[in-house]
Amino acid sequence: MANAENKIMEALDYQLEDKILEAQKVRPERIFIKVNPDVHKDALKILLQEDENAGISAITGVDLKDNIELMYHVRTRGTIVTVRTEVCKENATIESITDLIPGADFHERETADLFGVTFRGHPNPARLILPENWPGNLFPLRKDAEIENIHSKLENAAVSCENRSSDDGKLVNIIVGPQHPALIEPEKFSLRVDGEIVKEVIPRIGYVHRGVEKATEKRTYLQNIYLVERICGICNACHATCFCQTVESIMGTESPARAKYLRTIVLELNRIQSHMLLLGHAGLEIGFESLFQYLWRDRESAMDMMELLTGNRVIASFITIGGVRRDLKEGDIPKIKTGLTALKERLDFYKELLETDSTLKMRMRNVGILRKDDALKLCVVGPVARASGVEIDVRKDDPYAAYGEIPFKIVTRNEGDSWARLMVRLDEISESIGIMNFALENLPKGPYRVRVPRIVPAGEALGRAEAPRGELFYYVKSNGTAYPERVKVRTPTFSNILSFVKIAKGGNIADVPASFVSLDPCFSCTDR
Amino acid sequence: MSLDLTLIFRALIFPGFAFILLLTFFCDWAERKIEARMQNRMGPTYTGPAGILQPLADFIKLLTKEDIVPNNTKGMIFRFTPILAFSTFVFALFFLPIDGANVILGSNFEGDLIFILALVSVGNFFLFLSGWSSTNAYSAIGATRVLTQFLGYDIPLFMLALTPAFLAKDLSISTIAASQDVPFALFIPWAFVLFIITLQAELEKDPFDVPHAETEIVGGYETEYSGRRLAFLKLAKDVQIVLGAVLVAELFLGGPFGPVLFGLSAFSYTLWFTIKVLFVVMITEYLTCIFARLRIDQVLNVNWKMLMPLSILALAASVAVMLWLSLVG
Amino acid sequence: MSKKIKPSPILKEVLSQIFRKPATRKYPKVRPEIPEGFRGKQIFDIDLCISCGLCARDCPSKAIEMVDVEGKKKPSFHLDLCIFCFQCAESCPRNAIKASGVFELASNNKYDLVVKPQKKTQDRGEEA
Repeated sequence: MANAENKIMEALDYQLEDKILEAQKVRPERIFIKVNPDVHKDALKILLQEDENAGISAITGVDLKDNIELMYHVRTRGTIVTVRTEVCKENATIESITDLIPGADFHERETADLFGVTFRGHPNPARLILPENWPGNLFPLRKDAEIENIHSKLENAAVSCENRSSDDGKLVNIIVGPQHPALIEPEKFSLRVDGEIVKEVIPRIGYVHRGVEKATEKRTYLQNIYLVERICGICNACHATCFCQTVESIMGTESPARAKYLRTIVLELNRIQSHMLLLGHAGLEIGFESLFQYLWRDRESAMDMMELLTGNRVIASFITIGGVRRDLKEGDIPKIKTGLTALKERLDFYKELLETDSTLKMRMRNVGILRKDDALKLCVVGPVARASGVEIDVRKDDPYAAYGEIPFKIVTRNEGDSWARLMVRLDEISESIGIMNFALENLPKGPYRVRVPRIVPAGEALGRAEAPRGELFYYVKSNGTAYPERVKVRTPTFSNILSFVKIAKGGNIADVPASFVSLDPCFSCTDR
Repeated sequence: MSLDLTLIFRALIFPGFAFILLLTFFCDWAERKIEARMQNRMGPTYTGPAGILQPLADFIKLLTKEDIVPNNTKGMIFRFTPILAFSTFVFALFFLPIDGANVILGSNFEGDLIFILALVSVGNFFLFLSGWSSTNAYSAIGATRVLTQFLGYDIPLFMLALTPAFLAKDLSISTIAASQDVPFALFIPWAFVLFIITLQAELEKDPFDVPHAETEIVGGYETEYSGRRLAFLKLAKDVQIVLGAVLVAELFLGGPFGPVLFGLSAFSYTLWFTIKVLFVVMITEYLTCIFARLRIDQVLNVNWKMLMPLSILALAASVAVMLWLSLVG
Repeated sequence: MSKKIKPSPILKEVLSQIFRKPATRKYPKVRPEIPEGFRGKQIFDIDLCISCGLCARDCPSKAIEMVDVEGKKKPSFHLDLCIFCFQCAESCPRNAIKASGVFELASNNKYDLVVKPQKKTQDRGEEA
C-alpha cells in the first residue's frame, strides 16, 4: 500500500503546502497529518476526492489536559488517513463537515455528547448517545469528569424532538421502539406516516449505552480484551481480534503464523453464525416462520463447532494479545470439516429458496432501495454497501490476520434492495466456508502464542477488521502504564443507521421491518 | 310447557356448546402440533398426554390474569365485542350438521347457507370493532386491515360457497351435505382449491396474515386486551378457524355423512365429521407454513386481480358441470 | 421472459419435515455432550497454589477474592460474578486452576455460588 500512501501525501503536500503542521507515520503504516482547526475541511475534501469509495470511518476525540484533540479518520484507497486537529477545552468549537459528507452526522453528534465539542453548522445538534436528562455541562469522556453520584445531578428531561418540523395534522406519529417486536434491541425510531406511507424517520439511539469506552480506561489491557468482547455478543471475535491487533501494533510484536490462521478460522465461524442468525431473523420479520426455524436449526452445527474450538458457544474468549489462547487439536479438524460440508449442502436449499420463492420476493424485492451514490455519501459499510455496488471489504483492502494469504472473492450486487442485501450475506456464508476449509488444510505448525509484557509502551495505533456487519474500527492510545489512555471503538452499525432513514422514506409501513432487518442492526454495538 | 331435555342436552352438551368448545381446543392442538412438526420441532408435549391439554391450559391462564380496561376506550363496545364475536361464531356452528343433524333439531331451513355466511361476516365485523374501539394507533391499523381484507375476500367467498349449492340444487347446508355420495370436491376441484385459498384470507392466516402482523403493529386489534377479554378474543379466533374448516367439510367433502360403523350412526357421523375437519385444518396449516406474509396492498392485488375473476370463472364452470351431471343422470 | 417458473423448494421441504424426528434436544431428560475444553466451574488444586495473587489481579470482573486459609492467602471464586473466561487459569504460574464440565450452577442460595479453597481430603469427590 506504500504507493497509495505516497500518492496521498503528494496530493496533500501539493494542495495544502505549509498548512500541514506535522505528518507522521503511525504503526501500522498509517498516515497522520496535523492541521489547524480551520484547515481540516480542506484536507478532508482532498482526501475524499482521492478515491470514489472514500468515506469517513470515524471521528475520535482525545482529552489532552488543556486541549481536545479531534481526529478525522478517512477511509481511502484501502488505507486510513487521519487528519488531526486540536481545539481548546474552554471554547471547544469547530466547523462541521456534514455539508461536505452527510455520513459524518452521527459521528459529530457523538463527539459533541461525550466531549462537549460544538460543531458549527451541524443540521441537527441534538443528543445522540446520552439520555435527555443528563446534566448539560458534564462530558463523560473528559478526564476531569466526575460521574459518581450521577442520580443527584440529573436534570429535568426536556424531550424535544417529537414536536419539530412542519406538522399539518395529517401525519400520525408511529413510534417503533424502544420496546417493539420488530426490534431485538431497544432503539427508538419515530415514523411520521400519512396513511400507510412513511414521510420521515427520526432515529434516537443510546438506550443501551454502557459507557464501555470510559470503562476501558480503568482496566488493564488483559482485562480489556474480555470487556470489548462483550460489546457485541454476535461479533465478539472481531472485537477481540481488532483490539488485540491494535495493541500488538503499539508494542511492535506480531502474532505467530499459526495464531493468525486460527484467528481467521474463528472469525469466519463467527461470520457464518451471524449471517445465519440474520437470515432467520429476516424470515421472522416477514412472517416466514418456517425459514426462521430451519435456518436456526442448521445454525446449531456452527455453534457446536464454535464450542469444540473455543469452549463456548457464543462468546469465544479465544483471542488474546500475542496470539490465541488454546490450540486446535489434529483430531478435531475432521469434525469441523464434516460440519462445514453439511452446512454447505444446506446452503444450496436456502439459495434456491431465496431465488425462487414468490411471496418472499414480493416482500423483499425493490423494497428499501439504497442507491450507490447515497451509499457513498452516507459512508455505509459492510454487506449494506456491497449490495449497492460499493466494493469495500477490509479483508481485501487492508489484509489482517491470515487474509492476505487466503484466496476468496468479494460478493457484490447492484440492485441495492433488501433482497440483494440478504443474497450478499448468503453468498458470503459460502465464501466463509471456503476460507475455513483452506485455513484448516494449510494450518502452519508452530507456536500459537507469544508472551507479551503487561506494560504497553507509549504510542497509538489504529486497527480495522471486517465484522459480519461491516468495517470495525479501533483506535488505542497508550501512555506507558498498564492502563490504556483512550480506546475508541467505531462499530459498523453506527455508520449504517443513517441509511435506514434514507431507505424508509417514501415506502410503506409494512416495508419498514423488512428493510430494517436487511440492514442487520446490532444496537449493543451501536451504543457501546 | 315442559322442559325439552333433548333440546337442552343437544344445545349445551353434545353436539352443542361443550362439544364445539372441545372441538376448538382439539383443532387448536392439532394445528400447533402439525405446524411444529413441519418446522422440525416438538410442539406442545408436556401438558397432558402429547400436550393435548395445552390450549385449555392457555385459556385458563388467560382467565386468571388481570383484565385492564384503558380509560380512553369506547366503553361498552370495548367491553363486549370479544364475547359477541365468540358467540356469533358459535351460533353459526349451531346450524351446521355435526352428527347427522343440526344441533337444534329441525332448525335447518331453505337458504341457511346464506344465513351462515352472513354470520361469518358479522363475526368478522365484531373483530374489527374490537380493534377500533381500543383507540390505540396499533389497534386502529390492525382493525382497518381486518376490514379491508375481509371486505375484499367476502365476495369470492360467497360466490365459491354457492357452487356446491348449484350441484346439490338446494341452498340448505344439511341438504348439500347429505346429497354428496361422492364428495363435491372431486366434481368441482377448482372451486375447492379456490375456496381454501379464500378461507386463508378470511381466517387471516399466512400469506394473508396482515391484520395481526406482530412485527409491525405489535398485537393488531388484540393489543389493548388482557385477561378474560383476551381469552375470549383468542377463543373467538379459534372458533372462526373451526367454523371455516367445518364449512369446507360440509360443502365440499360431504359433512358428517359417510359409511356407518357398527350401526352407531351418531357416533360414526361425528367421527367422520372430526376426521374431515382435521383434514381441512391440516391443509390450511400447510399453506400457512410455506408462505411469507404479504403486504396489505399485495393482498388486495391478489384479491381483485386474481381471486375475483377466477371465482367468477369457477362459478360458471360449476354451473356447466351441474348441467352435464343432470344430463348424464 | 422465457424463464421457467420453478416452484419454490419450500413446498417439498415442509412436507418432508413432518416425517423426520424433531430437532429438539430433550434436555434435561437427555444429558448433552460436553466437549473437552468446555469452560465450566473451576477446579482448584490448593496444593499447587503459591499465593501469588495473579489470578485475582487479572480477573476482568473481580470475581476472585484472596481469603485466608491456614495463614496463607488462597483464591475464592465468586461464581455469580465470574464470566468463565479462565484468564485466572492462564495467569496462574503453577496451573492450579482447571476448568470442569459443570455448567448447571444456578441456585437459590447465594452461598452456593462461592468456590472456597479447600484441602483435597475435605473434598467430596469428583463432580460429574
